[in-house]
Amino acid sequence: MPGGATTAAAAPIVLEAIGKRYETASGAVQAVDSVSLTVHAEEFVTLLGPSGCGKSTVLGMIAGLVRPDAGRVLVAGAPCVGPNPEQIALVFQDGGLFPWRTALDNVTFGLELRGVPAAKRREIALGLLEPMGLRGFERKYPRELSGGMRQRVAIARALALDTPILLMDEPFGALDEQTRLLMGEWLVGIRRRARKTVLFVTHSLLEAIALSDRIVVMTARPGRIKDVVDVALPFPRDLNAPEVTDLRAKLWEQVREESLKAMGTRP
Amino acid sequence: MGRLAVLACQVASLAVVVLAWHVAVRTGLADPLFVPAPGAVAAALGSTAREALPRLGDTLLKTLLGYALAVGLGVAGGLLLGSRRLVHAVAMPYVVAAYGVPKILVLPWIVLILGLGTSTAVLTATLFSVFPILVMVAAGVRDVDPTLVTAAVSMGATRGQVSRKVLLPAVLPSVLAGMRVGIVFAMLGVLLAEMFAGTRGMGFLMQRMAMAFKASELFAATLIVSILSIVVVLSLEHLNQRLSRWR
Amino acid sequence: MKVLAWRLAILIAMLAVWEAVAAPLNPIFYVRPSALPGALLGMWRVPDLPPLGEHVWLTLQEIAGAYVLAVAAGLWLGFLLGLRRTVGRIYEPLLAALYAVPSVVWYPSLMLFFGLGSASKIAFGVALGFFPIVLSVLAGIRQVPATLVTVAQSMGARPLTVFRKVMLPAMASTMVGGLRAGLALSVVGVLVGEILGSRAGIGYVINYAYGLMMTREYAVLAVLAAVAVLALDTAGALVEARVRRWAG
Repeated sequence: MPGGATTAAAAPIVLEAIGKRYETASGAVQAVDSVSLTVHAEEFVTLLGPSGCGKSTVLGMIAGLVRPDAGRVLVAGAPCVGPNPEQIALVFQDGGLFPWRTALDNVTFGLELRGVPAAKRREIALGLLEPMGLRGFERKYPRELSGGMRQRVAIARALALDTPILLMDEPFGALDEQTRLLMGEWLVGIRRRARKTVLFVTHSLLEAIALSDRIVVMTARPGRIKDVVDVALPFPRDLNAPEVTDLRAKLWEQVREESLKAMGTRP
Repeated sequence: MGRLAVLACQVASLAVVVLAWHVAVRTGLADPLFVPAPGAVAAALGSTAREALPRLGDTLLKTLLGYALAVGLGVAGGLLLGSRRLVHAVAMPYVVAAYGVPKILVLPWIVLILGLGTSTAVLTATLFSVFPILVMVAAGVRDVDPTLVTAAVSMGATRGQVSRKVLLPAVLPSVLAGMRVGIVFAMLGVLLAEMFAGTRGMGFLMQRMAMAFKASELFAATLIVSILSIVVVLSLEHLNQRLSRWR
Repeated sequence: MKVLAWRLAILIAMLAVWEAVAAPLNPIFYVRPSALPGALLGMWRVPDLPPLGEHVWLTLQEIAGAYVLAVAAGLWLGFLLGLRRTVGRIYEPLLAALYAVPSVVWYPSLMLFFGLGSASKIAFGVALGFFPIVLSVLAGIRQVPATLVTVAQSMGARPLTVFRKVMLPAMASTMVGGLRAGLALSVVGVLVGEILGSRAGIGYVINYAYGLMMTREYAVLAVLAAVAVLALDTAGALVEARVRRWAG
């Protein structure tokens, strides 16, 4: 288990039986039901499950953007009452980059909000963009960047505020497979260096296995935790290793059942 | 087809039209009382321009005044309408109705109350141009990608910061588009008011020329006003392009 | 429900304010909404006013004429510029430039050429109405997904069939929007033409009433014309919605 020592400091994220229901035109929908989880410091936890299983809603509740109807969320020991820019940074599926700002200005956005002086902002931003291979692209607009580059800028923007926790909602979802795998490798490297706690949402099994310390398998709606799987493999991970294949098969069995339910067919 | 070739074709086509027009008048196909020869129009350009200049200035001034008012009202109204769901749902049918009613119907009443002067023209210009601006800005606000707002809020932005740093730049293209459409409508309003009941301005001049059968002068005046408005709109368009490099 | 209640409240409030503001003021200049129904009923008996029936009929004919011509011209030009690449490249910028000119500048010339009769009104209605139609045809052609055309061609469809069975349905939604806008503008064109100078038609009657300071009658006519135009546009909107649902 990573970050072994249990210190006096509280776990970064604690979910106590959180739930969320939505009112829609066709009645009430229970998106998330009784999810309890503890994410430890510097852990990389992935929420895995079919679409519509409430993974993004869970993330939204942790980020303070969605209020839970049941249970509570504790971030760094304190109850979550709203957005928490000191503790949490988000990365969205389509980047959420501001199209009228250059890559550099996108990265410095959060710093601007905090009143960090311009020179310092630029320094921090360049310091993040360069190891990402985006040197020379900082004055480009998102429109002029490829999908992979845009996601890297989005991640840089999230890293700029130097929060201990990173929430990532299918950040590589819109990318093609090759780019996805490369970004995954790159993220592993970043994570190690940056020492952050990461909660990652995906529906890709391989991605989950490649990146995580623990995988939380979620059921179809209403989203509950079906299983929690430890991935005790060393980094960097060889995706062709037998352990990976085994794990993948095991996960697929569980996920398949839920995916079929989500599609409305019996398993 | 290269850009130069396209331009050449355009110029050539215009030249052909002018030539055909000239021939038509020469051979009596078109009555010179109603359709002046191109030569006559060219000749009249000088004198018409001199007569038109002060009137053009007058028309432009009224246009700009009405336009400024319309932009202020339209942008403010559009921002309000686009950002509040209830306001939008309640007010939109009225806005659409007002947009759809031919504003000319109100013009006689405006003239009755405000007379033949500048205020009538300015008010008409405002009335004509405020609606497209309002509608376009409101649509622009509603089209703002909610993920952008979420991203800003998650990074700790206050309401004021969200408005200034996210909504405003996101809405700017729609505002500019509305403004581009608005200027033509404003000019339209002023000219219409001048033609209906004015004593100064280009509209009045043109109407008077028509009544007096001064065909060459009228064509020349029409040409001058057309070129002026094309120039104005093209400049606004150019400005628009410069400010929207990121799109 | 809440929305409808608010809308009704606003309407009532506007009428109330209008009534309250106009009541103490000179009725020659400021007409109260409560005076309108009475004026409407009495209009047919007012000796000074020209016979409404034939003027309304004339205006309707002018609008119909203008719209039919606008549709014909608009569709023809739209397809010519849209389907023939080179022709489009050359002439579309010229059309766009024309669009930047406030349409009313053409009217004095039209009046000079066609006179004060119906012809100038129809011509102006065409000048205004054909623009949105041309633009919507061009836009419609542009947004036909190329893959659809490729699929049809790969199944052996000839150009005319491709046009009829693939392009037209794909363009339908966009075009109907333009046709609807074209109708609205043709109406505006005819009305403006009549008000600016004519011897017959609704615009003429409105001008007449206004000229004689018969403000109440003018107000009734203006309101009726406004309601009629809105009704026409609403009908157009319903047709548009129907077409959109069918075209997908």
